[in-house]
Amino acid sequence: MKYRVGSPTGRVAGMVCTFALGWGAAVSPLAPAAASQPVAAGPPVAATGFTFVKSLGGIDEYHLDGNGLTVLLVPDHSAPVVTFQVTYRVGSRNEVTGTTGSTHILEHLMFKGSENFNDPKGNSVKQFLERVGGQFNASTAVDRTNYFATVGRENLEGYIAIEADRMRHLWLRETDRQAEMTVVRNEYERGKNDPDRVLGEEVTAAAYQALPYHHPTIGWKSDIEHVSIGKLHEFYDTFYWPNNATVTVVGDVDEAAALGLIKKYYGVYAASPQPIPGMYTEEPQQTGPRRVLVKRPGELGTVVIAHKVPNARDADQPALEMLDAILSSGKNARLYRALVDKGLALNAGAGTDLHFDLSLHVLSASLAPGSTHEQVEEALGEEIAKIKTDGVTPAEIARVKQQYIAADAYKRDGTAAVASELNEWIGVGDWTLYVTFPQKVQQVTPADVQRVAKQYFNEDQSTTGWFVPVHSGAEKGS
Amino acid sequence: MIRLKMIQKCVLPLALFASSTAGASMADHGHRAQAAGIDVVTYPTGVKDVVVIVGVLPAGDAMAQSGNIAIPSLAGMMLDRGTKALDKFAIADRLDNVGASISFAVAVQSLEIHGKCLKKDLPLVLGLIAAELRTPALQAQEFAKAKQQFIGSLEASLQNTEGRALEAFGRTVFSEGHPNRPHSIAEYLAAAKSANLDEVKAFNAKYYGPAHMTLIAVGDVSPAGVEAEVAKAFSGWTGGQDYVRPVQAAIAAGPREIPVPLPEKTSVSVMLGQATGLKYRDPDALALRVGTAILGRGFTGRLMGTVRDKEGLTYNIGAAVSEDTIADGAWDISASFAPGLLDKGVAATRRELQKWWSDGVTDSELAVRKQGLVGGYFVGLSNTAGLAGAIVATIQRGYDLTWLDGYPEAVKALTRAEVNNAIKTHLDPATMVLVEAGTLKAGTGK
Repeated sequence: MKYRVGSPTGRVAGMVCTFALGWGAAVSPLAPAAASQPVAAGPPVAATGFTFVKSLGGIDEYHLDGNGLTVLLVPDHSAPVVTFQVTYRVGSRNEVTGTTGSTHILEHLMFKGSENFNDPKGNSVKQFLERVGGQFNASTAVDRTNYFATVGRENLEGYIAIEADRMRHLWLRETDRQAEMTVVRNEYERGKNDPDRVLGEEVTAAAYQALPYHHPTIGWKSDIEHVSIGKLHEFYDTFYWPNNATVTVVGDVDEAAALGLIKKYYGVYAASPQPIPGMYTEEPQQTGPRRVLVKRPGELGTVVIAHKVPNARDADQPALEMLDAILSSGKNARLYRALVDKGLALNAGAGTDLHFDLSLHVLSASLAPGSTHEQVEEALGEEIAKIKTDGVTPAEIARVKQQYIAADAYKRDGTAAVASELNEWIGVGDWTLYVTFPQKVQQVTPADVQRVAKQYFNEDQSTTGWFVPVHSGAEKGS
Repeated sequence: MIRLKMIQKCVLPLALFASSTAGASMADHGHRAQAAGIDVVTYPTGVKDVVVIVGVLPAGDAMAQSGNIAIPSLAGMMLDRGTKALDKFAIADRLDNVGASISFAVAVQSLEIHGKCLKKDLPLVLGLIAAELRTPALQAQEFAKAKQQFIGSLEASLQNTEGRALEAFGRTVFSEGHPNRPHSIAEYLAAAKSANLDEVKAFNAKYYGPAHMTLIAVGDVSPAGVEAEVAKAFSGWTGGQDYVRPVQAAIAAGPREIPVPLPEKTSVSVMLGQATGLKYRDPDALALRVGTAILGRGFTGRLMGTVRDKEGLTYNIGAAVSEDTIADGAWDISASFAPGLLDKGVAATRRELQKWWSDGVTDSELAVRKQGLVGGYFVGLSNTAGLAGAIVATIQRGYDLTWLDGYPEAVKALTRAEVNNAIKTHLDPATMVLVEAGTLKAGTGK
């Protein structure tokens, strides 16, 4: 987990990628939407074999009749490129002890070849996409797994063909698992180099006891090393079906032609023979504050205070997002003024890991030289207490709303960013929040913010973590 | 902020593209002019309402020269802490109220300026950028805060294996006095602690000015509108210095292995490489870049294909040419390995390097890679930020806008002989420097 600081954006908890491309897929669920349209009376294009579901905010939803595949089309003709993405509604929340990290390992194995597209044939997904200059990757998070590429419009069909083939014809071989296990283990090890990431994982593990958000998306090391190819195959055969997937097409495409390609390559599959299994575990009520201490070599400490808050679709989330922006967006934010500007912290932030089930709200701060954990924790707590007692001002609310109006224009700049944000809303269970969530933020009042602060930020519901550096004596360079 | 970032992975330049220019010359679509002594480039695209601003001026770490090495970074950090007319909260208010942003960063040679706003707010944002550059408040209280934050960030970086590997690599392959040679964290810490506000004021006065500054606006813009606003906001501003253009770095005389021990790290960061003596525009530079992409770019590069994909020794490994925009740069392979797989991983890396260097690239590899690089060039131009970054790189490298069209053609024209000759001429695996940063005792292996 990486805590975003000072930005009114949501976060993807524990997201891991096939390639090391940084944190590029983080979403901006607070960005205001394009002006939403009423649900269309009829489909934008005639598409045999598809059922038109609805249009909203320039996004058209269809279902492929034969197998239940969901399709989202977002035409954008500002550049001759297109982003194609498939999102599977499976993540680390679908794992259990012994198979933690399986979703992510399977994501890696999706690049090892499929029946019709593989290295020996010279047409594997990586060979094709690098040959045409595509920008591509995949990522796994708690609630979803996605595969995506941005290519010139002339290469869309080639990519759809490969993506569809690996949905049901993936090679899953023990030799590949063995080689990829150590790759994933090194990804795990790289993450463990960062004490703040370790702190985030330990705070999360303490905050969630029953829900599978308890374990990190990358999995426990022993599970990464020992999960069998049979278990992975079972996982693939349970979740990788068209009726558990959404494909998203953003960019310079003709809608009818895009639907035709999707039908051509995905229409050959039936729906899953068994219903996609749900996850029925519920988190028990927390009955007191929890604390976590991480001690490792380092120089400066960190304080994190987490609270469980409702799922991403809950009506209180827009007010929580508004609260976070007031706390941490820019130099006028309350945490900047109270901690950074006063020299207590190098940075401070607030944000929510939006989840399909209970989400996790996180306040965090990196200690400035000379400040103590106690001081920083107290300062973070005081800022929350002020909002609970005194509320926020209309001017603060108005400022944040203006930022979202500008973000409405910004988010139309680039097809990959649109697909990435949609992916996260698909993962938490409702893509229409891409459009409606920012509108709901515009309706938030000061009273709403004060109410959610009082409701969710109680000490008995908190999990507080400290990273306490043990002075390493590391050389400071020659 | 500091020169530890000197090795920025940029195997190939991004380039320029906009839907409205499809089939036309990209250079003709952009407009370049002088306004208030600043080199201004305007590039309209199909995006509605959005404007991205990118600026560079020679005020990077290299400009410290024989003075206090912390001053360029501290001077950059002071820019958004208030002007003579507005304090930092008033500036933030103006930006927040329209959803706009301005940020500054200090790189090896440049102060970098980034802005984003709606079309209607371009005058406001350009006006604030101008005020922050021309009339920063430079108050003692804010300077003390900037120092504390700079020192804190330096201390935090001490435990970062990748940063420490970069530091050691750069300090070994570049000669003393070369602008790409980073100072150590210890040197930065000492300099930051002794820095004073008068030094920042002097630096600001000497280096911040329109001479050698470039400002680029991409998106929903018109050249006349941008140039008029720049002329208004920066009218009467003077000064500025050129970039540091050094003599070529000394190439390493023999192999060296540099351990950087850090306790309790579960992954070791490795760099293997050398200084190249080449700047981006030198005759062999593009051929070396394309050859390097065949070795170490993407999943189909040789290093990923073998060391990761077949042997499972690492999560990430790649090769790149870096920091050659203004001065001669470096070439390196970067990777991470578990402590227990370190020796095996380094051996596999050296094996692939040696094979690539000795036998060269094949015709088929070159053909596929050229196609991918040209395709990726255009995909990378499909948003304003990518486009603006590409224009900056083009201009900083000393080209005019015609390079935007010339780059793909230059890639297509490369021959196998040119690529293999560049590899052999400018690289020597036998003399490369190996840096390993992390916990260097054997751990659990495969």
